[in-house]
Amino acid sequence: MAMRELVSGGAACATSGSSSSSNPLGSLANALLGSSSKTQQERLREIPTSTAIPSDGSASVGTGEPLSGLPGSELDHPLQPNAQGSEFLRGFRSADQHGLADVWDDIQRPQVNFPPEHVLRQPDTNGPPQRVLSSFLHSFVNSSHGGIPFCPATLPVLGLSAGDKQCIRDRSSIMARHFFADKSEDFINAQVNALLSSLEIDNDIRAPGPAFKRYQELEKYWHETHGMRPGPNPADGWVAEFAQHPVGHGDPSTWVQSFEQEHGANGWASEFEHEHAQLASMDHIRGATMPHLAAMEQTRMLANTLAQNNDPKFQNSKFFQFVSKMSRGEITVEDNQIKPATLSAPGDWATEYQQQYSGGQTWADQFLSKGPNGWVDEFASERGHVDDGWVNEFSKLHVNDWAEEFGRQVGEGTFGDSSADNWASAYDEYLNEQTALKQQSESSRGVYVFSDLNPYVGHPNPLKEGQELFRKGLLSEAVLALEAEVLKNPDNAEGWRLLGIAHAENDDDQQAIAAMMRAQEVDPTNLEVLLALGVSHTNELEQAAALKYLYSWLRHHPKYGTVVPPNQPDSLYYGDVATYFSDAARMSPDDADVHIVLGVLYNLSREYDKAIESFQTALKLKPRDYSLWNKLGATQANSVQSADAILAYQQALDLKPNYVRAWANMGISYANQGMYEESIRYYVRALAMNPKADNAWQYLRISLSCASRNDMLEACDSRNLDFLQKEFPL
Amino acid sequence: MASDEKSVQLKSDALMEQMKLHLTTDAGKALTKKIGLVYQLNIAPKKLGFNEEFYVVDLKKGEVKKGTYEDGKPDATFSFTDNDFIKIAAGKMNPQIAFMRGAMKIKGSISAAQKFTPDIFPKPAKM
Repeated sequence: MAMRELVSGGAACATSGSSSSSNPLGSLANALLGSSSKTQQERLREIPTSTAIPSDGSASVGTGEPLSGLPGSELDHPLQPNAQGSEFLRGFRSADQHGLADVWDDIQRPQVNFPPEHVLRQPDTNGPPQRVLSSFLHSFVNSSHGGIPFCPATLPVLGLSAGDKQCIRDRSSIMARHFFADKSEDFINAQVNALLSSLEIDNDIRAPGPAFKRYQELEKYWHETHGMRPGPNPADGWVAEFAQHPVGHGDPSTWVQSFEQEHGANGWASEFEHEHAQLASMDHIRGATMPHLAAMEQTRMLANTLAQNNDPKFQNSKFFQFVSKMSRGEITVEDNQIKPATLSAPGDWATEYQQQYSGGQTWADQFLSKGPNGWVDEFASERGHVDDGWVNEFSKLHVNDWAEEFGRQVGEGTFGDSSADNWASAYDEYLNEQTALKQQSESSRGVYVFSDLNPYVGHPNPLKEGQELFRKGLLSEAVLALEAEVLKNPDNAEGWRLLGIAHAENDDDQQAIAAMMRAQEVDPTNLEVLLALGVSHTNELEQAAALKYLYSWLRHHPKYGTVVPPNQPDSLYYGDVATYFSDAARMSPDDADVHIVLGVLYNLSREYDKAIESFQTALKLKPRDYSLWNKLGATQANSVQSADAILAYQQALDLKPNYVRAWANMGISYANQGMYEESIRYYVRALAMNPKADNAWQYLRISLSCASRNDMLEACDSRNLDFLQKEFPL
Repeated sequence: MASDEKSVQLKSDALMEQMKLHLTTDAGKALTKKIGLVYQLNIAPKKLGFNEEFYVVDLKKGEVKKGTYEDGKPDATFSFTDNDFIKIAAGKMNPQIAFMRGAMKIKGSISAAQKFTPDIFPKPAKM
C-alpha cells in the first residue's frame, strides 16, 4: 500500500541519520513546493554543489544542522550565498542570450571534469533520497526562472513508490502550467516529461484506477497530517480560486512564495514580509480575526495605561514590551499561544488580488492616504453584517470596564512595583513555557494525531507486535506499532481499540477518544469500545457524551439490551440511564462488567460512595484487573479518600508496573493532599514512561511552583526529563 | 448531584463539586488559611457573559456555593467560559494570558485576583 511505502521510506531515511522531517509525504511536498523549514540561505547553498563533495553523506548540507533558524532571522542575515553560488545565480538570472548559452553549456558538460571554481547546476545527488529528490526538484523549479529547457541530471535510484510518482507527476504538471503560462503547451509538456522521465516516472498513467485511488489516499493523509482544516483541501481551494483569476500571474516565483506562505513557510515568508512590510501590516489588519482585533484594542488601552507609569524599571520590563507589541499587532495570542503576527492565508490572497485589480496603486498608498481610521471605515463598508458581528462582539467584552478598572488600580497603587514585577516575571515564565509547549490546537480535537517517526511502519504484522508490546507493558512502543497497524488497515477495529486503550493507560485521553471513535466507526456496537469512550469522556468531564456511550453500551449488550426501551430517546436523562443499569445489575449480579459500567456512571453523577461500592463488587469478581483497581483509586481520590486511593493505585501498579495513568494519579493524590514534593516524583516517573502526557507536565509545573522548586521550572518547561529524574528519583 | 439535571452540562460544575469536598480536607483548610479571600466565578457555557452560572468559592469560610455572593462584595469576580475555566484550573492556561486575551474578565482587587492560581483547585484523578 502506498501509505505504508511512503512512511517506511521515512523509517529508512531516519536510520541514515537525517534529522529532517521523517514524513516522506511532507518532504515530498517540501521538495515540490520549496522546503518550508529551511532558510533561504540553506536552500541557496544546496542548489549549486561543487563536485568536490565526497559521497559519504556529509554532502547533505543543511540536514545535519538543527532547524534552528528563528523566524525572522533571515532579516539579520541578508542573502549571501557562497561566492560560487552568487556568481552562478547572477549569470543565470541575468540570462541574456550569451549568458544563457554559457549556463546551458555548463549544464551539458559532464560533471566530473569541472574545475572547482565552476559551479554546476547540478542537484546534490548524494545523501538520503529525500534530500536528493528535494534538490532535484528545486532545480526543476529554478529552470522556470530562465525559461530554459530543463535538462535533468542523472539520479541514483530513489526507490519512489507509485504514490510518490503519481504525486510528483500531478503536482509538477499543475505547477509547470503556472510557471510557463507564457509558453506553449508543447514546451510545458517537454519540461514535465524531462522531469518525469529522469525520475523514471511514466507520464502515461493518468487514468483513474488503482493508481488514482492511491493518490486519493495520499491526499487524505495529507489532509490528516496538516491539521484537518474544515472544508476542501486548502491547496485545492487555492488552485480553484487562482484559476478564477487569470489576471497577471506571470511571475512564477510569487506563486511559489504565496503557496509556501499558505503552508507556513518561514524562510520565504519572511522575505516576502520584509519586502512588503507595508502590505503585510495592512494585510494583517485585514486578515486579523475578530479576537485579534479585540485583543489588540484591549492591549492598546492597557498599554496606554501602563505607559503612564513612569517607573523606568517597569517601562523596560518584558511585560510592558509584551503589551506594547501586542497592542501594535506585532504578536498575537492564539489558542493560548503567543505567535508573531503572521499573515493569514485568506487575507494574503485578498491582498494579492486587490493589488492586481487596483492597477498599480498599492495598499500602502491607500493605507496612508486614508489614515489610521480609513481602513476601519473600509472594513466596515466591505464587510457589512460581518462587521456588525464583531463590533457587537467587541462591545460585549466590556473592554472599557476592565481597562478602567485596571487604570484605577494602577492609579491607587494597588498594582505597585512589586506586583508589576510579579506580573512581568509571570510573563517571562509564560513565554518560556510557550516555546517549550508543543503546538496542539483545539481544532485537532477528535482527530487522531499520528507520530512522526514510526519504526513499525513496514513491519509484517504490526498488530501482533503491538499486542505483544502492550502485554509487556511497553505502552509508548505499543502505540507506535498499533499506529502502524491502523495505517496499514484503517478498518481494523481491534487495532484502533487497542490503540485507544494504550493511550488511556498512557494518560492521554484526547488520543484515546480519537482512536476509540475510529474503532467505533468500524465496529459501532463493540462493548469495550463503548465503555472506553464512556470512561474517557467522564475523565474529560464531558458528561453528556459519556452518558451517551454508557447508554449505548447497555443498549448493544446481548443480555441487557432488553432492559432499554427499543427507541433511543432524543435526550438522555441521567436518572433513566441509572435505572436501566440497576435493572441490569439485578439481572446478573455476577457479571463484573455491569458493575464496572455502573461505577463509571456513578462517577458521572458524583455519587462516589455508590461508585466505590460498584467497583469493589467488580473487583471481587475480577481481582487482577489493574484498570479496575485504578478506577477504584481514582474514584476514591475524587471523593477525597486519598489514603485509600493510594493503596488502590499501588495494587494497580503491582499488576502493571508501567501503568502511566496510575503513576500520574498517584502524583495527583499527593498534590491534592498538599504533598507537592512527593507528587513531583510520581509525575516525573509517569513522564519518564510517556513524555507525551501533557496533563502530567502541567501538573508537574504546578507542583514545582507549590513546592518552591522554581529552580526546576526551566527543566520542566524544556521537558528535560534526565535532569528531572536525577533531581527527583522515586 | 444526580437529580440536578441542568447542571450536568457544565464541566466546571464537576470541578466545583470536587472543590467543595477538597476544602474539607487538611490541604483545603490550609488553602483557606493561606488565601483568605472570597472569589465569585461567573461561568458561561459557550460565550463569555451569556447564560452564566455563578459560583462562590469562599476561601475565608472554606465553602463553595452556587449563586452570587450575598454577604457584601467578593474580593474578586472572574468571568470566563466553561472550557477556559477548566483549562485555567488544570494549569493549561495562564490566567494572566486569559486576562490579556479578554478570555477572562476580572472585577475587584487585582492583588486578590493574582492569588487565584491553578494550585487552589484539586486535580481530578482519571479512571
